[in-house]
Amino acid sequence: MISRRALELATAILTGGFGVAVVVQSLDNGIGWSSAGVDAGTFPFLTGIIIVAGSLYNLARGVVPAATLASVPIAITSIELRRLAGLFVPAAIFVAAIPLLGMYLASAAYVFAVLAIPRHQSLVRSVVTAAATALALYVVFERMFQVSLPHGALAAALGF
Amino acid sequence: MRGTSLFLLSVSAAALAGSAPACAAWQPQKPIEFVATAGPGGGTDNIARAVQNIITKYKLTEQPIVVVNKGGGSGAEGYVYGKASAGDPYKVIFGTSNAWQQPLVSKVAFNYTDLTPIAAMAQDEFLLWVKQDAPYKTAGDYLKAAASGEFKMGGAQSKDTDEVLTRMIEKVGHVKLTYIPFKSGAETAVQLAGGHLDSHVNNPSESIGQWRGGTQRPLCVFSPKRLPQGAKVTLSEGWSDVPTCAEQGLDIKQYEQPRTVWLPGKVTPEQAAYYVDLMKKVQATPEWKDYIEKSSQIDTFLTGADFDKFIKEDLEHVKQVASEQGWLVK
Amino acid sequence: MDNLSELFHGFTIAVTVPHLALMAVGVLLGILVGVLPGLGAPNGVSLLLPLTFGMQPVSAIILLSSMYWGALFGGSVTSILFNIPGEPSSVATTFDGYPMARDGRPTTALATAFGSAAFGALVGVILITFLASWVAQVALAFGPAEYFAVYFLAFASFVGMGGAAPVKTVVALAIGFAIAAIGIDTVSGSVRLTMGVDELVKGVNFVVAVMGLFGIGELLVAVEEEFHARAVSSKIEWREVFRTVGRLPRHSVALLRSAAIGCWMGITPGGPTAASFMSYGIARRFSRRGRYFGTGEVEGIISPETADHAAGTSALLPMLSLGIPGSATAAVMMGGLMIWGLNPGPMLFVDQKDFVWGLIASMYVGNIVAVALVLLTVPVFAALMRIPFVIIAPLIVIICVVGAYSVSNSYLDVVMMLGFGIVGYLFKKLFYPLAPLVLAIVIGDKAEDAFRQSMLMSRGSLGIFFANKLVTCLVVAGIALLLLPLVLQLARVWRKPASPNVETQSQEKVVI
Repeated sequence: MISRRALELATAILTGGFGVAVVVQSLDNGIGWSSAGVDAGTFPFLTGIIIVAGSLYNLARGVVPAATLASVPIAITSIELRRLAGLFVPAAIFVAAIPLLGMYLASAAYVFAVLAIPRHQSLVRSVVTAAATALALYVVFERMFQVSLPHGALAAALGF
Repeated sequence: MRGTSLFLLSVSAAALAGSAPACAAWQPQKPIEFVATAGPGGGTDNIARAVQNIITKYKLTEQPIVVVNKGGGSGAEGYVYGKASAGDPYKVIFGTSNAWQQPLVSKVAFNYTDLTPIAAMAQDEFLLWVKQDAPYKTAGDYLKAAASGEFKMGGAQSKDTDEVLTRMIEKVGHVKLTYIPFKSGAETAVQLAGGHLDSHVNNPSESIGQWRGGTQRPLCVFSPKRLPQGAKVTLSEGWSDVPTCAEQGLDIKQYEQPRTVWLPGKVTPEQAAYYVDLMKKVQATPEWKDYIEKSSQIDTFLTGADFDKFIKEDLEHVKQVASEQGWLVK
Repeated sequence: MDNLSELFHGFTIAVTVPHLALMAVGVLLGILVGVLPGLGAPNGVSLLLPLTFGMQPVSAIILLSSMYWGALFGGSVTSILFNIPGEPSSVATTFDGYPMARDGRPTTALATAFGSAAFGALVGVILITFLASWVAQVALAFGPAEYFAVYFLAFASFVGMGGAAPVKTVVALAIGFAIAAIGIDTVSGSVRLTMGVDELVKGVNFVVAVMGLFGIGELLVAVEEEFHARAVSSKIEWREVFRTVGRLPRHSVALLRSAAIGCWMGITPGGPTAASFMSYGIARRFSRRGRYFGTGEVEGIISPETADHAAGTSALLPMLSLGIPGSATAAVMMGGLMIWGLNPGPMLFVDQKDFVWGLIASMYVGNIVAVALVLLTVPVFAALMRIPFVIIAPLIVIICVVGAYSVSNSYLDVVMMLGFGIVGYLFKKLFYPLAPLVLAIVIGDKAEDAFRQSMLMSRGSLGIFFANKLVTCLVVAGIALLLLPLVLQLARVWRKPASPNVETQSQEKVVI
């Protein structure tokens, strides 16, 4: 269970962190505005400052909850969190598996896993859907539009 | 290490050029990827696709060829990709002199030494262009007028070929120009036509339509001799009628941009030799001649030691301009 | 009337059986690449380009431009059905198109989008036909300062309006600008904000950001709320398609206004994306039902779609007459023109009459072919909404992953896309607006380039933005649009000092 306040704080810290990184990086490019034009780092620096300032404001508002925030104290309940994880975790594993398995195998495995393991579909239908997905990707991208999707380290090791 | 591979490369290239091209030992076994270090429609993209078409048409290889655009970061994306694919002979990178110029002036994560040079296949010329109704007729007049210090010179990208040439003009002509970088040569040409700039140094293909349409005209070409005779561009003039800049008192004898072809680093000399040979075959076709003429480029072919020498000379030159301007990255 | 007779001559070239067949092929292929995110018209065009070298230039350009129309139409399909805009210019369509589709009315949403898009394109073609030379002159008047003013106007018309908490809007906007700045800077040539990742020198592609923010983000919101699209009746609703198109004339004010904005932004360098955002922003402000925008309003679909297509069409004109491509697709086509031995530029209209007028005539015919074909596909696409969520969810994930990858064959993009997905979810959950962020990613760096080019020209003086009538008008209009909501707010407060703040509650409900 995650409270609205915690979520606000986390997001503000996330955006603020990005802002700090932008400010630090833009200093490398030089900041200045003269008759020779505007330096490369000037605008990123300014946007970085705005992001940091805005994030601090949001952080402060998160710590001292205003009336509107108090009306929804809980942002994500534990059931919702489980549902979110149910979608995101397999997706993340799928993306992580691409360099090894390649796009085709990884996507087939992903479709099969999310359909068959929670028993949304029968085994046979899951296998068919998974195979059809990979095949469709292959035909459309590799054959029709000559976009080469990653084949993966496994395929390379086997000599494809 | 690099020296030897280059040496071997030039030896094998020489062997190929000789009487008995001993059918390069290495042959591709997989689809080949042509990496264009420019977005779709750019000059570098066009040359990659032209080469792809010719190879496919004449079946110069059994393997299919796919063109991939990696034009982000003024081409750096493509070169970084080439660097990351070290040892992979199925990636051919098409670029310009950017490959050695960009690492000098910006903090990009590659250098041309990370790649294996194959060839320079065509040269783009540079000309000095002004608006059609500008009062000056020669480069000399232009320099006189520019002495006021108010002139705006446009060009594609920053600290790239166009700006290097602009700084050279400043130095040789003893003038001060305000250089304004745009995304592409085409955009620059339109800015000149609209009167927002005083001049630019576009390649012929970038401004031919504008010249023909009477919005701008070339004053001179940065080349040791006039361009070859071709079809007339306007009613009365063609490329060969444009005087050289040197003969008009702007003493920059030669400045051109090669279209370059590379393999990733750490490929074998046989693999490199295969592609040198392939590009030679492409260049011998009538379609290639046609492409060169239509895009108003100059047909050249530098490889091996010649190409290496060209890079070294150009690098020295750019380094000099860049250090004078304080552009060199620390 | 000279143009009219040329146009008739053009029709005799365009309306032949082989050319009509080419149009149908081009449109269908275009719809396919438009529907698949990651593949866009540039892919399709560059794929077809080699095939066209054996053709007559006019046949070739008819094939390629039909593909362009198909892709423009197809791009709206995924925006409406799955909240995944495949092209920058169809982002604004998601704001009302997706809620309407989710509400069980995908047929109405798609038919509205296609019908108004066809109207926009038609207005764009008419403009090209009769005002070609005038338009070319107008485009020439735009230097860097005017470019900046146009972008500023687009921002002002969109960002000025309320909705989310102001600080959150500002943060989202600034993050968008920072993301746009990543990579090589045009004006200085230096590498910016790569955070130590070498590959980021290429910058963050818009498609990667949008697939994550909208596609994955929305999917996470949907699964969390266990919200599944309302069941769509299984009948194929042909009648609904025609009824929807028939109802369009009722919104003639919105149609005309959006077409005008689209044409204006297409001719000036704003382009289709800025046009669709600006049109949506202005419609939201001036429509009587503006407060319901974001919940599935018909005019919320009409406005961006009409402007997008009007701009997309009129953007072809600067390409032909000046040689500046208005979009990536136009750039590829221009490359093609050069390979066919035609030089885009002012003389094309004089030297190559058959080609130019054949192309313009084919725009009329091609659009009619495209809208007919695309309306026929509406029930098919609408039927996609009937696929159960458990199956469609992993497929959307795969589409986003493949789409992000195929933008530049990069695994890093896929990982970033997933990261943007989390950000999109968090932002949606906490009412940070996504639209300003996306608008900043798309035109933020262009606006910055134009500003800094202007500063180079004026030697650092802001006076260049008031140097002539054109740029002054644009800047003043922008400032006025920016201040308008503030003034209205003040006026309301002044009139009714003690009004209870109803806005705050509705505020968080509809954040786009």
